Amino acid sequence: MSPRREKLTSPQTRVALARGNRPAQHLLPIPEPVDAEAARRLFRAQRRRAVRTIVLLSVVLFGVSGAFAAFPQISEVRVAQVPLSWLLLTAGLYPPLFGLALWHMRSAERVEERAERDRGTGVGVAGPDRGEGP
Amino acid sequence: MTSVVAIGLLLLISLVIGIYGVRAARSASDFLVASRRVSPNWNALAIAGEYLSAASVLGLAGLLLKNGLGTIWYAVGFTAGYVAVVALVAGPMRRSGAYTVPDFAEYRLGAPRLRKLCGCVVLVIMLLYLVPQFKGAGVVLSLVSGTPYWVGVVLAGLVVSGSIAAGGMRSATYVQAFHYVVKLLFIAVPAVYLIAHAGADTRAEVLHPEWGTHFPDTIPVEFAVDTRFTLDEPVTVTDTSGEEVVLGEGSHTVSEGTEYVFPEGAQVPRPEGLPELGGERWSAPLLSQGGYPLFETWSTLLAITFGCMGLPHVIMRFHTSPTARVARRVAVGVIALLGLFYLFPTVYGLLGRVLTPELVLLQGTDTVAVVLPDHTVSGSLGTFLTALVAAGAFGAFLSTSSGLLLALAGGLSHDLFRSSVPRLRLGVAVGACVAVLLALPAQMTDINVLVVWAFTVAASTFCPLLVLGIWWRRLTLPGAATGLIVGAVTATGAVGWSVLLPTPGGWFDVLLAQPAAWTIPLAFATMIAVSRLASPPEWAEHAVLRLHAP
Repeated sequence: MSPRREKLTSPQTRVALARGNRPAQHLLPIPEPVDAEAARRLFRAQRRRAVRTIVLLSVVLFGVSGAFAAFPQISEVRVAQVPLSWLLLTAGLYPPLFGLALWHMRSAERVEERAERDRGTGVGVAGPDRGEGP
Repeated sequence: MTSVVAIGLLLLISLVIGIYGVRAARSASDFLVASRRVSPNWNALAIAGEYLSAASVLGLAGLLLKNGLGTIWYAVGFTAGYVAVVALVAGPMRRSGAYTVPDFAEYRLGAPRLRKLCGCVVLVIMLLYLVPQFKGAGVVLSLVSGTPYWVGVVLAGLVVSGSIAAGGMRSATYVQAFHYVVKLLFIAVPAVYLIAHAGADTRAEVLHPEWGTHFPDTIPVEFAVDTRFTLDEPVTVTDTSGEEVVLGEGSHTVSEGTEYVFPEGAQVPRPEGLPELGGERWSAPLLSQGGYPLFETWSTLLAITFGCMGLPHVIMRFHTSPTARVARRVAVGVIALLGLFYLFPTVYGLLGRVLTPELVLLQGTDTVAVVLPDHTVSGSLGTFLTALVAAGAFGAFLSTSSGLLLALAGGLSHDLFRSSVPRLRLGVAVGACVAVLLALPAQMTDINVLVVWAFTVAASTFCPLLVLGIWWRRLTLPGAATGLIVGAVTATGAVGWSVLLPTPGGWFDVLLAQPAAWTIPLAFATMIAVSRLASPPEWAEHAVLRLHAP
């Protein structure tokens, strides 16, 4: 015998369904951050990292394609018979993309860990961004 | 026939995994907690499995053969999209507790009416994405079974709706992960074999497009539509009655149904509007259809990279990770899996130029990956390899379109017409019907043109909504709504105009066909400008900060 089937929805959808057509009065409760200032600092630190990663991503994508446009000679250089531009385009860009994502992940996790540590020890006044940063 | 068996086997195994998964997850808590027991590796495999669609398995190789090497930028963009996902949305989306973009809009801006608007945009994106999937499936099925294209499309619609109804997608994680492995192996193994089998001469020809493209054999070409093409040197062809016809240098128009047999070694004619196969434009590593390569490449890259995060079926998958940190890690894993896969479609496109150049004349380049093995490897091994690729392509169709159909049906039943699960099934059926009907006239449209259209709309609507919603506390409801409408109308309209209606030419054409470079900034600017007119509710800052709290 299998248990009775239940319908599963996300918390937000449950709130919306339960509300019916009445206007929104209670969203999923948003708990106040215990320490608003620390939360703001964490947010800013994460945003800096996000901007940095997106800028670097743009440099990789637009830089390489821009280089292809600016220096068409790249296609004439051959590595083991294969044109250099073909190699770059078909295989060479994936490792840097992966590396960039990995770097971002590590860096974002470090910020989170530090914030948690600071919250745990009640320090946190010194700011979550000591010594690190772009 | 072997291919039909291979596709049948793939379907059967998918169903078995699906049913086994359903047995493993019986109760609601099983289902919810399952995501916590599924390891991040499985999850990454599943996400990659769902993401790699017919556009990647068939479309890339086809477009590469037809338009040239710049096409690979699509693959780079598809992968780079996940870097943007890691940096901007993966963690915060998981913390918001939202399963879909309309859910997120509700969380962040607290307005049910925005939900409906988002639901409409989901519908547009999903349909634009579904139609090329059905086209791909129709092409593959009609190719391997010899039935007309429309039979293939209708059959694909029945198969996918049937497998959703039978619960084949219910243990989605394992089925999708299985499909990633299928796609990778079934594309990679024939590709490696083909490279080895091709021989040194062919390989050299592949790497030297400047030597020109010639028919590798005596090739009959039956023109499916009226075609205009140009020849740089005269060619003597044989028509159906066996008479020799001399086609002189210059341009020719042949009517629908004409059949010519081209002799071995003859230069491949160049259909109007396409670059010369292996010519300078073809082998340049940039996208260039309209004559502005750098702009076109950048605009397409913007559309794909930022469209990825706005795709409803991509967003949906983040809740399967237990924490925000795992969600981010899973997204990084997906990048590695995508990078690995995208090494292989290129092989088919590059070999296709040398071995099956007639596909360009037949307007059937999307089939190159399936046709190539059978064409170049003789005997049962060739048939077997073709069966592998066909099954891989069908797996791509099955996993992506199931995910898309479920997202579409979810949008229909939850966001647009608030109702219960039976309607979800109805939604699947309705969605499949509409997609099949739209796919019928799309036989000659390239898969990737439609897929990039979907990415452009996602990048101009949900991308600004998510990015500003997550990283800017001053976003307001009117700002989000206006931006969504402006982005959706401009992006859908511009590409729609360039695909369906006559265009004036020049720069204007390029701006219509690749509109992301102006529609994305426009949508962002609208959201920011309109949001600035009013002040956000006081809880807005908490809603944003909570998305980043570990």
